[in-house]
Amino acid sequence: MDVGRHPKIRLLAYSEIEKIDGEMGNFHITVRKKARYVDEKKCTGCGTCAEKCPTVTSDAYNLGLGKAKAIYKYFAQGIPSAYTIDANVCRQLQGKKCGVCAKVCQAGAIDYKQQEQILEFDVGAIIVATGYDLFDATKIPEYGYGRLPNVVTALEFERFLSASGPTHGHVYRRSDLALMDALPEAEKNRQKAAKSLEQLEKKGGMSSSDFYAKYEAGELQGEEYDKWAEQVKVSRAATEKFEAMKAKVDKIEGAHRLAFIQCVGSRDIRFNKYCSGFCCMHAVKEAIIGLEHDKEAEVYIFGMDIRAVGKNFEEYRNRGAGSGIKFIRSRVAEIYEDKDHTPILVYEDTKERQVKQLPVDLVILATACQPSEGIVKMAATVGIETNDFGFIKTASYPPLSTSRPGVFVCGCAVSPMDIPESVAQASSAAARAAQVLSGSETERLAS
Amino acid sequence: MSGDTEKTAELNTKDARIGVFVCHCGSNIAGLLDCPGLAEYASGLPNVVFTKNNLYTCSEAGIAEIMNAIKEHGLTRVVVASCSPRTHMPLFKSACAEAGLNQYLFEMANIRDQCSWVHAQDRDLAMVKAEDLIRMAVAKARFLEPAEDIESSLVRRAVVIGGGVAGLSAAGALADMGMEVILVERQAELGGLLRRINRIGPGGEKASELVGTLVAEFKSKPRAKALLESEVSAVSGVVGNYEVTIRDKSGELQTETVGCIVVATGALPFTPEGLYGYNGKNVITQIELEEKLRDGTLDAKRVVMIQCVGARSPERTYCSRICCQTAIKNALYIKELNPEAYVHILYRDIQMYGTDNERTLWDSRGKGVHYDVYDVDRPPVVKDGVVEVYQPLLGEVEQIPFDLLVLSTPLVAPEDAQEVANLMRIPVDQNRFYLEAHAKLRPLDFATDGVFLCGTARYPATVGEAQAQGLGAASRAATVLFKDKLVASALISQVTERCDGCGACVELCPYHALSLEEYEQDGRKLKRNKVDKMLCKGCGVCAATCPKGGVVVCGFTRTQLQAQVDAALEAA
Amino acid sequence: MNRDVLVIGGGIAGMQASLDLGEMGFQVHLVERLPSIGGKMSQLDKTFPTNDCAL
Repeated sequence: MDVGRHPKIRLLAYSEIEKIDGEMGNFHITVRKKARYVDEKKCTGCGTCAEKCPTVTSDAYNLGLGKAKAIYKYFAQGIPSAYTIDANVCRQLQGKKCGVCAKVCQAGAIDYKQQEQILEFDVGAIIVATGYDLFDATKIPEYGYGRLPNVVTALEFERFLSASGPTHGHVYRRSDLALMDALPEAEKNRQKAAKSLEQLEKKGGMSSSDFYAKYEAGELQGEEYDKWAEQVKVSRAATEKFEAMKAKVDKIEGAHRLAFIQCVGSRDIRFNKYCSGFCCMHAVKEAIIGLEHDKEAEVYIFGMDIRAVGKNFEEYRNRGAGSGIKFIRSRVAEIYEDKDHTPILVYEDTKERQVKQLPVDLVILATACQPSEGIVKMAATVGIETNDFGFIKTASYPPLSTSRPGVFVCGCAVSPMDIPESVAQASSAAARAAQVLSGSETERLAS
Repeated sequence: MSGDTEKTAELNTKDARIGVFVCHCGSNIAGLLDCPGLAEYASGLPNVVFTKNNLYTCSEAGIAEIMNAIKEHGLTRVVVASCSPRTHMPLFKSACAEAGLNQYLFEMANIRDQCSWVHAQDRDLAMVKAEDLIRMAVAKARFLEPAEDIESSLVRRAVVIGGGVAGLSAAGALADMGMEVILVERQAELGGLLRRINRIGPGGEKASELVGTLVAEFKSKPRAKALLESEVSAVSGVVGNYEVTIRDKSGELQTETVGCIVVATGALPFTPEGLYGYNGKNVITQIELEEKLRDGTLDAKRVVMIQCVGARSPERTYCSRICCQTAIKNALYIKELNPEAYVHILYRDIQMYGTDNERTLWDSRGKGVHYDVYDVDRPPVVKDGVVEVYQPLLGEVEQIPFDLLVLSTPLVAPEDAQEVANLMRIPVDQNRFYLEAHAKLRPLDFATDGVFLCGTARYPATVGEAQAQGLGAASRAATVLFKDKLVASALISQVTERCDGCGACVELCPYHALSLEEYEQDGRKLKRNKVDKMLCKGCGVCAATCPKGGVVVCGFTRTQLQAQVDAALEAA
Repeated sequence: MNRDVLVIGGGIAGMQASLDLGEMGFQVHLVERLPSIGGKMSQLDKTFPTNDCAL
């Protein structure tokens, strides 16, 4: 909010850096502002367009766990509050006729002809704060992510916990969620089949069960009756399916047994050898909140070391242990699935020196914090180097410098770190930039 | 002040001309409430001469409507029924000001966060509540009084307390940004803990070289000055104008006026008297090991290190963040000096977080450093020259003989941390580290304006982290010092004629903004309350305490609040 | 000497850097790839160790 309103901050969202020329004190920046197909100045963020949009697609903000429309706002409180059309799925922009959003927009903000813009401006200093991306857990097949429905990532679990997320804060097994999602469809099929049957009953002048008894006894023959019989079978099948599903859905409780697995893709010689810094604390937090949402929950955290190194972090971890979280020093070997999609962990409990198996309801993988997908391209565009780990290379002194004078870096673009550190580093980078803009950096480099 | 005497339109309560703007907030409010109905309801309230519905009052169109209505209808009060004041109040206030209406003649009714968002289950009752809220806001609006923001000048100078790596970093950056900086250091030399250590991880640079670089850079900046063997003995004033008194080693005092203060007073390694047979000879701390390594006096061949000594325990619950890094750094250095040396680290969790650290951990294993985990319930026992430890991974007790036992202890806040805190009225936490304004979003700020924090005074940190934090604190200070003037809200306490100087409120003020001043009246010496306008935050504790109405908070006077209460109870 | 600054990335670090520099009086150009700022933190429910809301 503060950023959106600040008189000195010009926000260029949905934009990317095209080119950076020049040098410290005088960089010439070229930015490509992508087309939203919505006029940011006119859009009031009212949301009518998304309500009426007929195209449903998956919801990136909720990591595909929810649904969004072709015209969307990334998240409800997003700044800028303007909507955006995903040209890849929008019917109108794909050449098929639609135009519903333009019709319902009271502010006249939809513009299918909007072009991307190239903007150019000059700056004295640059700060790179491009963050990180998460490890793709499908790369570890023995954990079953992507194959076993009840194995999720930490960020996905975050969306489950969130009141504004796809389950409004209820923690369910994902296999159960799939059941709940499928129920309306099964209901629809049952009703459709029942309706067809009603019509046949009217025509035939008797109930379906009476008819079917006669048909089976061979009393009624002919194509019409064959069709009716077929429909009876279909209807019965649809009803059975629906009722079986409903019985299952009615029995659904939340996911009570949660297992958090740390270092998924981190401290791993096959993928990222380094430690992702914040995931231990993140798991403790998710575990504590999970326990708040469900007092009956059984929660386990499997880790090698629990890195609670920040201010108040160890106390927080102790609080978690006090609330009932069981910490197990172990690296889980494998996860497989029982009937009903119950995930079972195979691990060595190093304290008791035994190999054990543990069935749970939901497994949450703490996936590694990795350099952003586009970091190589971005670094090349900005003219800075990356280090051995793939993050932006910095010197140890002075802090936060990159390989290009006048360009500084902060936050997870440097190395995995938590929020207080990112915020502190951001201020540090601001100081470095201010030094440039005050002329003193030039002096220092010259000496 | 209560009791207006001027009869300008703005001050006129009886004939106030109130405009009410009911926001739809898209469907956030209009989705539940009948906004046109609310506007109609408002138009029937006393003194309301204009109402309007807006889709988004905070949009350009909405702001324009407010400004036009003020001009066209001669409005003398504006009420916006929409979201929380925290969202857009400053925006609406500036719209009023731009249209020529004093910005303090503006009031809000929160019919979103406190109504449509939380009462979605009961539309009818929510409507009644929205009407109540609007009626109350209108009732109060009549009694609003114009006021002016309080401006003060500021001094473009800073004091940095502490000349270690964080303080030097902060001071250097501030000087670079054009500020005059005074660095106050208690010892005879700059550099702090950095002077005692050998090398800096993970790169392995010599600490003495970094000290040299930092000090040389500091001295090269004409705007930066260091006062050595000096301490801060008193601080008074407020952001923009702090009076800092500094005492040198001979006891002489000097007072400097500065705009901001940076606290970089550092921390000290804990000496574990009575733990694990600590004797300072063959059972030493990591800092003592650093000094041996730096001075080249290490001659041990079998070194055992125990982590978490005096930390992560009931007396000191925190993890000191840097001790694992320090131990492994020193272990590697010992192996460098003597590849045949036996080094064994006993730990609870090995805290090598992040990229470089984890790599260092793997390297150390490759170079032959031994590691074993121990259980907090069965810690190592030190006998003469031998460490006995139960190893959970083996289920056995191992005996490890040593020449040198190094205990990794935490950094602890200096003994006088609380005294220094009292000087500036900043808080400390349960471990006597200074407490920042917000653990996550404001890690380098204090709740007290104009005072900032960096380095191990905040919490154990590495050299690199302390340096970065020093820069960060400089940036935070610069956001104040770069301004031409400081502006504070007018909604602060005001003393009335009814104050009799009893002083009950003075002690209770959490911002220490109140004091008693003496004055003469009819030959008698009397006392009354005095409000420091820059320190006061308008919290209202004083007004709530005073039984005589001797101090009131502008914008929350008895009359205004009474009007709201009466309005609230009206419909009931 | 140009007194403008470019900040690439509108997550928590980019936003904080922009605010600091904006408060100091420099003109900041904040470029964000996604349709809105907020970054990963906006996808979090609550944050440790205080458990207050991420937004």
